[in-house]
Amino acid sequence: MLVKLIGAAVLIGATSVIGFSKAADCSRRPRTLRELQALLQMLENEISYLSNLLTEAFTRIYENSGVEAAILFKAAAQNLEAGGVTADTAWERAVDDNAPRLSLNKEDKSILATFGKMLGNSDLEGQLNNIRLVTSQLRLQEIKSEEMKKKNEKMYRSLGVLSGLAITIILF
Amino acid sequence: MIKGVQSDIMPYLMPSIRAVFMRMDSKKLDNLQEIRMRAGKPLMAADGAFDLFVTADGELTGNIKDSYMVVQNEITKTIELMSENSVYAFQDEIKAGFLTLKGGHRVGLCGRVVFQDGQIRNIKDFNGINIRVAKEIKGCAMRVAGYIMKNNTEVYNTLIIGPPQCGKTTILRDAARLLSNGDLELDFKGLKIGIVDERSEIAACSKGIPQNDVGFRTDVMDSCPKALGMEMLLRSMSPHVIITDEIGTHGDGAAILKVLNSGVKIIASAHGYNISELKMREELLALIKAGTFERYIVLSSGEGPGTLEEVIDSQLSIIYRRCSPCL
Repeated sequence: MLVKLIGAAVLIGATSVIGFSKAADCSRRPRTLRELQALLQMLENEISYLSNLLTEAFTRIYENSGVEAAILFKAAAQNLEAGGVTADTAWERAVDDNAPRLSLNKEDKSILATFGKMLGNSDLEGQLNNIRLVTSQLRLQEIKSEEMKKKNEKMYRSLGVLSGLAITIILF
Repeated sequence: MIKGVQSDIMPYLMPSIRAVFMRMDSKKLDNLQEIRMRAGKPLMAADGAFDLFVTADGELTGNIKDSYMVVQNEITKTIELMSENSVYAFQDEIKAGFLTLKGGHRVGLCGRVVFQDGQIRNIKDFNGINIRVAKEIKGCAMRVAGYIMKNNTEVYNTLIIGPPQCGKTTILRDAARLLSNGDLELDFKGLKIGIVDERSEIAACSKGIPQNDVGFRTDVMDSCPKALGMEMLLRSMSPHVIITDEIGTHGDGAAILKVLNSGVKIIASAHGYNISELKMREELLALIKAGTFERYIVLSSGEGPGTLEEVIDSQLSIIYRRCSPCL
């Protein structure tokens, strides 16, 4: 009996952890999207007022902001520093490498990739337009992801606990 | 510091083109003076005397059949790399038709010009670039030094004249180093030098710091319009000599007179094959007539870049002439 009880507790614990981590994923995506918008705002300042080179701008953004999404800029700066690659490749690689960690979905990734295509290869006006465009797109993604979060966060949590309970009852 | 084609220029070439030059013999690579890419045309390189095609294996050849063909995308990407992926930060340079790489290598750009309100706003759809490999040849000004130095603390106002690719800037750079450091052998005391480096070719500043050796007592005003730069140096840096490149545009004359009136010497260079050609240019004619320059040093590439053709004084009488015709 005792073994059964312990087993049940472990089972319920495990499913709850899965449920809670899924829920955390749900809330990470809107946060990442929000952070990205703020970081892009910084990028705009870096290149329009400070007129910094792209690699330098990326590095500074990473160093000056403590948010998680800044690893995208760090990775891109590292790719650029390795040399011989253009900005779009460096950026795309950074997005691909870090998307799972930041809970970005396919749509977010394609938006960021499109942004990368224009990165650094046009005059200032073009750059600023590009940044504003991607910021507004990310804003829409953020709103969508907030809704998703509201819907799913609670569901994943209760689903985790309840599925654990259900399995336990069936097995008893 | 100029380190040569391999480390200064290669990283900025599109990988496909870089691979071609990687296969080239490193000695040949270091001898290159120009690398040219034109969209849809063969990749070319000049090694001084000849303008040759480059094959996919990195060989120089006169046969167009084996040459590597450049596509426009390779040019566009190369420019992106050269601007360190920040075309927006180099807009002014691109508008003026060139970029300067670290080490002072000048990259000329051609493409479709966007013209608006009487001004060039941008160049886009690039169709060709020309990379001019800068050479830092220490000691190359020694040959002309004797003509520039008046005594051991003074110099003559000097104009260095020569066609493109004959080493004007190289000699100017070395003269700056020589005059600034002084020279024990020539018993010349160092002078305070001010360089107005409008196109970042003489000192090749990167983030404000000269990459080329232009001497201890040298101040550099980087990518500053000549006339304005000369005035600024005059006002604030108390130079003995001002050195600047490629004079001849409108306003240069007045600025040079201002320099001379303050008792500061000038050493400059100008495009041209000889003095009579310079006289065709209004701005320079006035300066020549007024006897502004005490020495004219005419260069050619007759015996390789930097061949001293003739030296002329302010009265236009010849002090030195190369002896090739009188065999």
